Amino acid sequence: MPARFSIFSLVKVLFRPKAAFETLAAQEPPATRVFFGFALWIGLLPPLFAYIGTMNFGWRLGVEPVFLPQRTVFAISAAYFVALLLGFLSSAVIARWMAVTYDASQSLGRCFALMAVVGAPLAIGSVIHLYPHAFINLLVLVPTLIWSMYLLYRGLPVVLHTGPNRGMLMASALIAYLLVAAVSLLGVTVALWGSGLGPLIGN
Amino acid sequence: MNYEDRIVTAFTACSVFWAVLGMLAGVYVAAELVWPTIDFGLPGLSFGRLRTLHTTLVLFGFGVSGLVATGLYSVQRTSHVRLFAPGLAWFVLYAWQLTIVLGGASILAGWNAGKEYAELEWPFDLAIAVAWVSFGVVFFGTIARRKMEAIYISNWFYGALIIVVAMLHIVNSLALPATFGKSYSLFAGAQDAVVQWWYGHNAVGFLLTGGFLGMLYYFLPKQAEQPIWSYRLSIVAFWAFVYTYIWAGPHHLHYHSIPEWVQSLGMAMSLILLAPSWATMVNGIMTVSAAAKKLRSDPALKFIVLSLAFYGLATFEGPMLAIKSVNVFSHFTEWTIGHVHSGALGWNALITFGTFYFLVPRLAGAPLYSARLANIHFWLALAGVMLYVLSMWGAGVSQGVLWLSLDKLGEVRFSFNDVMAAMKPYYLLRFIGGLLFLAGAVLMAVNLARTFSGRRTVVVAPPPAHAAKGLT
Repeated sequence: MPARFSIFSLVKVLFRPKAAFETLAAQEPPATRVFFGFALWIGLLPPLFAYIGTMNFGWRLGVEPVFLPQRTVFAISAAYFVALLLGFLSSAVIARWMAVTYDASQSLGRCFALMAVVGAPLAIGSVIHLYPHAFINLLVLVPTLIWSMYLLYRGLPVVLHTGPNRGMLMASALIAYLLVAAVSLLGVTVALWGSGLGPLIGN
Repeated sequence: MNYEDRIVTAFTACSVFWAVLGMLAGVYVAAELVWPTIDFGLPGLSFGRLRTLHTTLVLFGFGVSGLVATGLYSVQRTSHVRLFAPGLAWFVLYAWQLTIVLGGASILAGWNAGKEYAELEWPFDLAIAVAWVSFGVVFFGTIARRKMEAIYISNWFYGALIIVVAMLHIVNSLALPATFGKSYSLFAGAQDAVVQWWYGHNAVGFLLTGGFLGMLYYFLPKQAEQPIWSYRLSIVAFWAFVYTYIWAGPHHLHYHSIPEWVQSLGMAMSLILLAPSWATMVNGIMTVSAAAKKLRSDPALKFIVLSLAFYGLATFEGPMLAIKSVNVFSHFTEWTIGHVHSGALGWNALITFGTFYFLVPRLAGAPLYSARLANIHFWLALAGVMLYVLSMWGAGVSQGVLWLSLDKLGEVRFSFNDVMAAMKPYYLLRFIGGLLFLAGAVLMAVNLARTFSGRRTVVVAPPPAHAAKGLT
């Protein structure tokens, strides 16, 4: 990890996460730099891949592909981007909030960096959105998600300077938050759709 | 007089046995959804019967046996007295297990009362009522003879479980027997549906939530060697929980032929329910956060930590799915099945596993046979439940989108068959998730059996009367 945590650190984050964690533990990157230098850019990838994939192949949910008008696809991709950013920011802020309980480092920059490293494999794995077949996406993204969870459990005690046991507890508490955040996203999406704000498929 | 713990050992053994058998039935029906011909044309292996057997065995065999075991263990220790009427407790054991064995056989033979999670026919309903009330007599008799002034919070939850489940079971099972194997519900039409889901949802509430919270409130502080983070919060959460839950049932009947205000009331109460549920989760997480050092030496605690995360998920997801505008999308999809299993596997099964890993070495007076096997079980269970929940989210959202898709004429665009055929890959993933979870349960059964093998239940005496001030 170079002194500046930027998008150029991506290769190290993906292939040598342990070294990345140790470097992060030794320094304290400013939160703004992590956000504008790294997270924002990798956060752009999933919606971009999803946009290109949906425009070219349509949503493939197992039966005939569902094509949507360009404006709708753009709106969905933009909403996806906003949701990812909100997810990233809220996770980092909540990690910092939990840090008090688990006697961990309360540096916002470190929490940002931890979430960025944990989320990076998912952002890169989202390349599968280029072919938006729901099951194939699940097949690629579920193992990636398990890898990200593993990184969270391994990286948290190192980056946030807490013991392995407290780290395990804090990572579990964060997973509880992330599960709830994920299911909220599903709920909010279908509730908005139900009230007429979503795409009208097939019309 | 020593504590009566042999009955606890017996119920624990039954619970582990039913866990393996019930989950095996679950994995088999999951496999039938991928390869529909593996019922080999036999009625006893058909999806309808095996699925009913699966829910009956895991709910009443695994779940209830585990709750009775832990309830009888903790009520003695929190009351500082031997069990009241131990002979009656043994009667409960034999009556309950016989009901599960014969009831399970009757389901495979095609007997079915036609009520979800209450499929057993009237002779079994009577047997359940007698056994359950006897359990209540043993439990409350023990509390009545207690040497402690206060009734500890776990007993409030176990007590609510006993009273409410008795009420639900007896009212919901009221029926007119036509023959020995067939009866007809006393309620008709929409009333029957309301009574059914008043029962169904409160079985989730008072058995799968309330009962297991009793387990949590006794065994978590014992394992963590920490008092509950906030005892006051646990009492407030108990009363809020009991008052709110009982109204939530109608959210199973959104957009059905029951009055709209009943649906809205069910939805509102379901949303309020989030507060007491999460109060308990916070209480548990904060209790365990003070006991981080114990994690290394105690594989059981990991299960409880993770069960709290899934408890948080399930109790958030539930109120959310009860919102009518979410329910219109999710109701008849696999999302519901995923939700049930994030609760049943992630919360109920994991906390029971954690409790058994704590309890059995104490009953046997020997250390756990293999902490390594328990750790492998933990990761198998985590991978299994994650795979299950994620595949059902994927399947549920796909089904919702496909079913709400309209063609140019405004007609439903995809047939039921098309949509079901599209679900096959998700069902395969779910099958693998279930298989991993079952493999973990088998490892646990072996581990616990080896821990106990060749031993007798340790004899423990209540503390002397003058010491009976604090929690034991």
